[in-house]
Amino acid sequence: MPYPEFWNPKNETLPKEELRLLQLYKLRRLCEWAYARSPFHRRRFDAAGFGPEQLKTLDDIRRIPFMTREQWMESQLEKPMFGDLVATDQTHAIRYHLTSGTTGRTPIRVLDSTKDWEWISEMWCYGFWGFGVRPEDVVYFAFGYGSFIGFWGAHYGCEKIGTLVIPGGAQTTEGRVRQIVEMGVTTVCSTPTYALRLWQQATEMGIDLARDSRVNKLIVSGEPAGSIPAVKRQLETAWGTKCGDTAGMTEIGTIMIFECSHQPGGTHIIEDHFIEEVVHPDSGEPVGYGKLGERAVTSFGRGFIPLIRYRSRDMVVKVPDKSCQCGRTGDIYEGGIRGRWDDMKLIRGTNVYTRAVEAIVREYDATDEFQIYLWRKDDIQDEITLKVEMKPGREAGWQELQKKLAADLAHAHEGLRFNIERVDHGSLPRFELKAKRLVDDRPVVGQHSR
Amino acid sequence: MSDVDLLNKPLTDSEREALRIYQALKDLAGLDDLPPCAARNVRKALACMWQVTNDLDLQFEQLYDLGV
Repeated sequence: MPYPEFWNPKNETLPKEELRLLQLYKLRRLCEWAYARSPFHRRRFDAAGFGPEQLKTLDDIRRIPFMTREQWMESQLEKPMFGDLVATDQTHAIRYHLTSGTTGRTPIRVLDSTKDWEWISEMWCYGFWGFGVRPEDVVYFAFGYGSFIGFWGAHYGCEKIGTLVIPGGAQTTEGRVRQIVEMGVTTVCSTPTYALRLWQQATEMGIDLARDSRVNKLIVSGEPAGSIPAVKRQLETAWGTKCGDTAGMTEIGTIMIFECSHQPGGTHIIEDHFIEEVVHPDSGEPVGYGKLGERAVTSFGRGFIPLIRYRSRDMVVKVPDKSCQCGRTGDIYEGGIRGRWDDMKLIRGTNVYTRAVEAIVREYDATDEFQIYLWRKDDIQDEITLKVEMKPGREAGWQELQKKLAADLAHAHEGLRFNIERVDHGSLPRFELKAKRLVDDRPVVGQHSR
Repeated sequence: MSDVDLLNKPLTDSEREALRIYQALKDLAGLDDLPPCAARNVRKALACMWQVTNDLDLQFEQLYDLGV
């Protein structure tokens, strides 16, 4: 018998009005639990004059105060190690993880129970099954298996689906490439950056992954780049296969959105397990379909650390489910996660986002790695320099590339002048997990300039 | 045991069976005379059945007080 298209046909195709009723039911129960068991939430609910019994319709969610990362961090600092957000005895936990800390702040620490881990892996099953992963697949995780939650849940999800799972673990990129080819891997999971790195390494080893491997699905996560069309195009060409995006966060322990095999140019929201609101980043007021806003997530999965109306800082545009032909009734984030509001840098009055720069850089096949370097000229003027590594053998095209990049970047940034600088191949850092391609070397007020 | 799911739809035969097994595992996990090999594996099985019944909208509850 052929496999069904959906991991959970009952809920993934639930009519919208029923989906909303289910969300309301779960929201009430979650708020009752949080109010009864989490001092953090009880304090916030009381201060806002909110009680779970006030949830009569889904619109009443707006009575609940937003929760922020800063509040969570404060709670951890006041009551180490986990704060008073935790809703049950810590002895019920079977695992500890923490955020990757790309922003350099105090990491968020999380605990999960046996049930929570069933749920964490389940969300990955929605995503992997949705992109076409089946029990016959051989799935490779190019992932270091450390304290960062990363692909841990995906690993267990694939075991649940029944695939053969190969944990890449701590080894060289060369070793990973060899394993992917030798083991007949059909599905590779990594960050988009590292998927490019694997391909680059394979090329240096004389291996054409599109020809020499059995890989027919590439599933990426961990960076916004997975939904940038130019990056996706590069990956699909390099690996000779389709590439699907997923996105999650340590704060919820898993993914909340995934790209299905129909590749609608966005990612489906797993709406039977999350409420995803899109709000104005300053006012917190809801924004409609098609408008750029900030994700605020309520998760029905992890009761250990209830997450209710959590401000993610992720930039998204929500569109109705009908923009995909797959039949899922969950709404879609068009273009996936488009970046982070706190990633925005102001250069001479113009907003610059790393993701937007990457979208332009990746349009040019000759570029290999890049870095955005911010500095201050003569202690007065902010400058932005794009450092570019070219692919070996493509150096002759540098001058033309330099001109085109300068023109495209200026055009996309209200005429802002970017300095475009070529650097030696291999001189910029490579990343296995979340790439950090922006270096801000401008002096901070109150500190000595370097 | 309920005859309807969280959206008030009648249970199918397989959903009713899943809910029955879930309840049986909860009862088992509540016993205090199980040896570690049984107590811990029952909890693992219960976590799986929690996910089954949660996905099928048959229940939405927390199990931490049972150590799950």
